[in-house]
Amino acid sequence: MRCAGAAPLLGSLPGELDPTEAALLGAHLATCEPCRARLADIEALSGVVRDGLRDEAARRDLSIFADGVMARIPASAWQGAPAGPLERLRAFLRRHRVLAAASALAPALAALALYLYIGRTGGTGPSELSVEVTSEDLAAIVLDTSDGPVILVGDGSEGT
Amino acid sequence: MNFPSVPPSLPMALSDLELVERARGGDPEAFRELVVRHQRRVYAVALGIVKDRDLAWDVSQEAFVRVHQHLAEFREESSFTTWLHRITARVAIDVLRKERPGRRSDVADVPEAVLQEAAPGVLATALGTNPQETMLRHELSARLTEALGELPDLHRAILVLREMDGLSYEELSLRLGIPKGTVMSRLFHARKKMQALLAGYAGIDAPGRGNAR
Ligand SMILES: [Zn+2]
Repeated sequence: MRCAGAAPLLGSLPGELDPTEAALLGAHLATCEPCRARLADIEALSGVVRDGLRDEAARRDLSIFADGVMARIPASAWQGAPAGPLERLRAFLRRHRVLAAASALAPALAALALYLYIGRTGGTGPSELSVEVTSEDLAAIVLDTSDGPVILVGDGSEGT
Repeated sequence: MNFPSVPPSLPMALSDLELVERARGGDPEAFRELVVRHQRRVYAVALGIVKDRDLAWDVSQEAFVRVHQHLAEFREESSFTTWLHRITARVAIDVLRKERPGRRSDVADVPEAVLQEAAPGVLATALGTNPQETMLRHELSARLTEALGELPDLHRAILVLREMDGLSYEELSLRLGIPKGTVMSRLFHARKKMQALLAGYAGIDAPGRGNAR
């Protein structure tokens, strides 16, 4: 094997070359100093590419990235999915930018209903729920459904 | 030790698979957490391939949107990261193809001239045996995107996928739709060019000439 044939084989991952190629390359490397040096360069470069891209990515402000992704996913995509009662409650709360225990009007009622809901559906506890308290002037309605009490919290965006 | 920050709305330390499971069940917060957890690496891969920062942002977002669309098809024998990066590469390469359609050239062996011009071992020697520590390595990392920008699109894509995701020649061949031999020779050329560029930036230009047999 000559350098011209050996060069493209340099930097292969283990097991990636067929046995014949690997043997030929090994034999070539054993006697060819320049190709050993080329291999060393490839190995040296490897970390530089990875680190360079990671450093560059680390400098980019990605704080609004996830919001952008979520905005590109239609809300209906979350509604069709099969889900347990807890997931459905959580999804409902999310869709309405919500607030279960948040209502300024009925925080205690909402909290109690949430507690009952979790208790009846055998949820693993409040840590399962992601509840955001983000605004005021919300009206909470607690519906007693077959799944247990469900809190509906309006966000004022639907013509209330 | 560094741990990625987890928003307080989700219990700590859910695995990717658990989050995928929840997202499939209709939980947007679980999906958002997957995005936050993986966004930086996805962006790094996208940036490496498309090189433009804004385009990399769009590619990364599109990759996550597609991941969401296909969540139901995700099979758990491959890791979520592998799958996500595969989709990212797909989107990024499609973008490249759209921008520069149909340039193909097959290279089998490396031309002797390329080997003659090279100064093998210079970069490795300059970077030393304890590469994580050197200033030079840090400097080169800082100019990496600039150097990547000098490579032809497909050379860059091959190099980045190989270095970031460790894709095999076979996978690269399938992914890029070019023969395995072409992948190998392009990868060699891409590396050679990167080495020359970085050596140039660092002022460690070729003290000697490489020899080819
Ligand atoms: Zn050789």
